[in-house]
Amino acid sequence: MIRFPESMSAGAALLAEIERRSGQQVSACYQCGRCTSTCVAAFAFDYPPHTLMRLLQVGMVREVLASRAAQLCLDCMTCSTRCPMEIDVAGVIETAKLVADEAGLKDTERDLRLLRRAFLSNVRRHGRLHEASLLIWFNFRTHNFMNDIKLVPLVLRKKNFHIFPPRIKNRRQMLRIFQEINRGGKG
Amino acid sequence: MSVYSYFPGCSLKSGATEYDRSFRLVADCFGIGLDELEDWNCCGASPAPHHWGGDLGILLPARNLHIAGASHDGIVAPCAGCFNRLKYAQHELSRNDDLRRRTGQALGQPVHYQTDVLNLVQLLNREIDPEDLARRARGRLSGMTLGTYYGCVLVRPPQIVRYDDPANPVKMEPLLKAAGATIPYFPFKTECCGSYMGLARKEIVLRASRRIIEVALECGVDALVTVCPLCYQNLDLRQRQINDVYGTDYHLPVLYLTQALGLALGFSPEELGIEAHAVNRPPSAL
Repeated sequence: MIRFPESMSAGAALLAEIERRSGQQVSACYQCGRCTSTCVAAFAFDYPPHTLMRLLQVGMVREVLASRAAQLCLDCMTCSTRCPMEIDVAGVIETAKLVADEAGLKDTERDLRLLRRAFLSNVRRHGRLHEASLLIWFNFRTHNFMNDIKLVPLVLRKKNFHIFPPRIKNRRQMLRIFQEINRGGKG
Repeated sequence: MSVYSYFPGCSLKSGATEYDRSFRLVADCFGIGLDELEDWNCCGASPAPHHWGGDLGILLPARNLHIAGASHDGIVAPCAGCFNRLKYAQHELSRNDDLRRRTGQALGQPVHYQTDVLNLVQLLNREIDPEDLARRARGRLSGMTLGTYYGCVLVRPPQIVRYDDPANPVKMEPLLKAAGATIPYFPFKTECCGSYMGLARKEIVLRASRRIIEVALECGVDALVTVCPLCYQNLDLRQRQINDVYGTDYHLPVLYLTQALGLALGFSPEELGIEAHAVNRPPSAL
């Protein structure tokens, strides 16, 4: 279902915000499609990269913010290095992802959001990532219990593998970093 | 002797212990001192830059830069992802006063961020003389055709990582050639492997990584060489998933650069942790 922007001015304001934060000029895109031809994830997108750029140009910014594509971008930056207009396409899409979160558009790609959030809460608590606990937690939350379970024995046979690597000592500093982010982000 | 602050990152302490081990073995051979960074933390990887305005992607690596301070000859991050995050943080801190102030606030003192950040290939090229390597390797890798796979974040974005040619990087070649290996034309050396989508959107990883393996085999590659633990995970650990989904029968070994050089220096596949890889058949020449 296509949702048109409530008004053109709302779209223009959102676009200005995306352009300001990404430092890119979306209007410079002339739709050659090179970004799409180099994108390894475009097959899973609802809109290919060059179409995202076009939607932004015509003010259909909410379409981009609510898109699966904005969430699925791998940030591999291939499009950005190959754009003939030197637009940082991945940077534009990444910014759209951040703006979508701030606008509360959180219905698309819930598993992926869950994974990112779980990763960060893991890091906030321990200072380092515990791959094993992330896998278990994620599988329980998504009810996909066998997800990647066959990989576990392959990893366990590695020497010196710690199921739970040590936490960092200065966990208070880790909390302060996250507090500083929350203060800045919500302000 | 040069001594570097060593930032292993989470992968080298969990799923990629063989990368850590083979790196230490090779560094030892050439008298490269590694001093593990005291109380280092996760660099934030892919999720941090997507969290609330993105600044977490700077503050997390900034703490590591700060701890490294001015000690030693720079900080080395073998994981391509960690390297990228450290360079990115350095770049942003140098041009954004407000970010610097907030980082200092979280750390409790003004942030020190100007340490020299090196990736693994950079460090080895700086410290290892190819002729010396060739003498020690005595052609142990000759007859082996290695696909140098750089991936994304080691070379992109070029204006921030400032390393090698983003479209056609070649910096691994002098070392591997000195060890006797043949480096063929391999146009997929900077194609994305699918990144961190393996858990939540597996089909993206399997499709992207399959293309890389397929093209590598067409180029006559005996093994892929990488410096990125996530690329390793997608290409090696998930190779059986690729075979299951696509009905292929790939058995392409994927080695860390330090494992390939370790073989050249005479270490066994067991010592280098190659036997613990999913595809543990040694490259054909061995």
